[in-house]
Amino acid sequence: MKFSVYQISRQGGRERNEDRMGYAYTRESGLFVLADGMGGHPEGAMAAQLALQTFSAYFQKAANPAVREVPEFLNSALMAAHHQIIRYAAEKGMLDTPRTTLVAAVMERNQMHWVHCGDSRLYIVRDGELLARTRDHSYMEQEAHLGRATDHINRNILFTCLGSPAKPVLDLSGPMQLVQGDRVLMCSDGLWGTVTDAEIVSELARRPLEQAVPELVAMALKRGGPRCDNVTVLAMEWETAEEFQATCVSTEDIDDGVFASTIQSGVPDPTIEDMDDKAIERSIAEINEAIRRTAERNS
Amino acid sequence: MSKVKPAPLPPDTVIGGYRIVRKLAAGGFGVVYLAVDTEGQQVAVKEYLPSSLATRGPGELLPQVQPEKLSLYRLGLKSFFEEGRALAQISHASVVSVLNFFRENETVYMVMNYLEGASLQEFIITARELKKEKVFRESTIRSLYDEILRGLRIVHQHKMLHLDIKPANIFVTDDNRSVLIDFGAAREVLSKEGNFIRPMYTPGFAAPEMYRRDSSMGPWTDIYAIGACIYASMQGYPPNDAPQRLEKDRLSLSLSRLRGVYSDNLIEVVEWCMSLDPLSRPQSVFALQKELSRETERSYTKLTVAEKMRLQFDSMVSDNKKSAHRTDAGTKFR
Repeated sequence: MKFSVYQISRQGGRERNEDRMGYAYTRESGLFVLADGMGGHPEGAMAAQLALQTFSAYFQKAANPAVREVPEFLNSALMAAHHQIIRYAAEKGMLDTPRTTLVAAVMERNQMHWVHCGDSRLYIVRDGELLARTRDHSYMEQEAHLGRATDHINRNILFTCLGSPAKPVLDLSGPMQLVQGDRVLMCSDGLWGTVTDAEIVSELARRPLEQAVPELVAMALKRGGPRCDNVTVLAMEWETAEEFQATCVSTEDIDDGVFASTIQSGVPDPTIEDMDDKAIERSIAEINEAIRRTAERNS
Repeated sequence: MSKVKPAPLPPDTVIGGYRIVRKLAAGGFGVVYLAVDTEGQQVAVKEYLPSSLATRGPGELLPQVQPEKLSLYRLGLKSFFEEGRALAQISHASVVSVLNFFRENETVYMVMNYLEGASLQEFIITARELKKEKVFRESTIRSLYDEILRGLRIVHQHKMLHLDIKPANIFVTDDNRSVLIDFGAAREVLSKEGNFIRPMYTPGFAAPEMYRRDSSMGPWTDIYAIGACIYASMQGYPPNDAPQRLEKDRLSLSLSRLRGVYSDNLIEVVEWCMSLDPLSRPQSVFALQKELSRETERSYTKLTVAEKMRLQFDSMVSDNKKSAHRTDAGTKFR
C-alpha cells in the first residue's frame, strides 16, 4: 500500500485552534481522521483529541494488519469516541459536554470506506472531477438537499455531533475502489466556508498535494479575514506516481505487527488495558519504527 | 513493600548487544547504565525496573515481581513506552535522543545517547557554594535557556509536554551543549503508597495547574518550569512551590533581592513565566524566546532605601520560616 499524505492546520482569528487531525497505518491499512471541536460548548479541543485517540486506539487493535470489517470498525470507533467524550464530561462533573465533528476514512485493499458526523467534510477527486463529497449534518445542507432556500439559515447549526446527549447520527460510505492518483481531502468548515467545492477540486486536480493544500488553506485564511475560522486539511493521494520526499508513505517494508500513528495521546489513554506480551512486543516494534522514521527524515 | 532497592546489573553483563560498563543513576522508574555497543560506541541504557514494584537480588538478571503487583508493573511499562514514543519522534541537539528499544530479562530497555557532563542542578549547587553575588552570569543564563527553549519548542511542536522540567533534567555536556533529558516522569508515576497512579510533579518547578492535573495544562505549564529554572539559576535555590505561592506569594519579594544584580528584563521574564494564572504567562515558547533574545540595553534598578529596609524587616520576621524553606530546598535539590 502506498499513499502520500499532506496535513496542515492553521489558526484563524479564533482564540484557540480546536481542530485535530492525524493518521495511522499498518502494513495493509491506513486510517485518516479529522475532528473539529465545537465552540459554544466547553473543551472542544478535548472532545476532538479524545475522538482522535479513540480512533487511533481502536485502529491499533483492529488492524492486524488489515481491518477486516471496515464499516463495522468505523461505526464502533465513532460510537466509542462519543462515549469517551460523555464519560470524560461525567467524570469531571461538567454541566455541558464537550462536542466535536468527525470525519474518518480507512484505506485498504484498494478500497476506501469513510464515516462522518457533523460538518467536517471529505472530498474525492479523480481525473480532475469531484467523485463524491460528504453531506454535512447541518440544517443548511438538509434544506439545500430538499431544494429549499437556504439564505436565512446559519450554516453553523448542526443537528448532530459527537459528545452531545443525543446519540450521534452518522453516515457510512463505501466501499469505493481506489485508482492510482485518486485524491482525497478531509477538511474542517474553516476551508469549505470560504472556498468553493469547484475551487477545491480544481486546485487538487492541478497541482501536487504539497502545493495544492497550502494554497487552499492560504485562500481560506485570506478570505476569512481577521475573524477567520481555523482551517485544517488532511489530504492524501492513492499510489502516488512520482515519489514525494516528505509526504510519501510506503507501508510495504514495515513489519506485520507494526502500527504507526501521528496521533499523540495528550490526555490519559482512553483505553487503559493490561499490557500483555503481544502489546509489549508491539509497542517496542512501534517505537523502533518511529526511531527509524525520524532518523530517515533527518538523513 | 520492599525497602531494598533492586540490584543493578553487574558490569560486563551483555544485554541486547550492549555491554554494561557501570551504573550511572537509579531512580524510581529504573536504572540507567553506561554501556558500549558492538562498535565500541558509548551509550546510556535505561532499564525499566520500578523500585517499588520489582526486586532483584545482587548478581541476578531477572527482576521478581510479586503477582499482586504485576498489573501495576505492566501499567508502569506504558509510561516507559510513552517516553520512548515521545523521544523517538524528535531529533534535536537540545533533546536527548533515543537510539533503540528492546526487550530482555523480562523487562524493557531504552538505549539513548550517552552525554558526558553534569546536570544544571550540580552546576547550580557548585556555583552557589562560591557565595558570590551572582550564581551565573546573565549572559550564561540567556544562552543556556536559549538552547533549551529551541529543544522545547520542537517538543511542543510534536504536541507533547515535558511536564518535569527542572535543573536536574537539564544536562550541560562537556562540549557545552544543554540538553533536555528525562521525559519519563512526564506523564504518570506509580505511587509508592498504594495501587493507584498519582500525578508526578517536582515542588518549586511544577505550575499550579500540575497539582490539579486538568486540561488547563499546555505549553505554558512547561514555561512556568522554565521560569522556575531561571529563578534557580539566579538565586541558587528553587522558588517556593505553587501551593505555598497561592497562599502567600513571595516571588516578587525574593526577586527584588536580585535587582541590580540581574537586569530588570530578566527578572521580569521570570515573573512573567511564573505567573500563577496560566493565561498570564507566555503562551508559547516562541513568545518567550523572543523576549529572552531581545538584546536591548540592559537596565538595572537598584533597591531604594525604603525597599531595603522592608526586605530586612521581612527577613527578621520570617527568619525561622525561611531557614526551614532553605533546608527544604536543599533536599529538593538533592
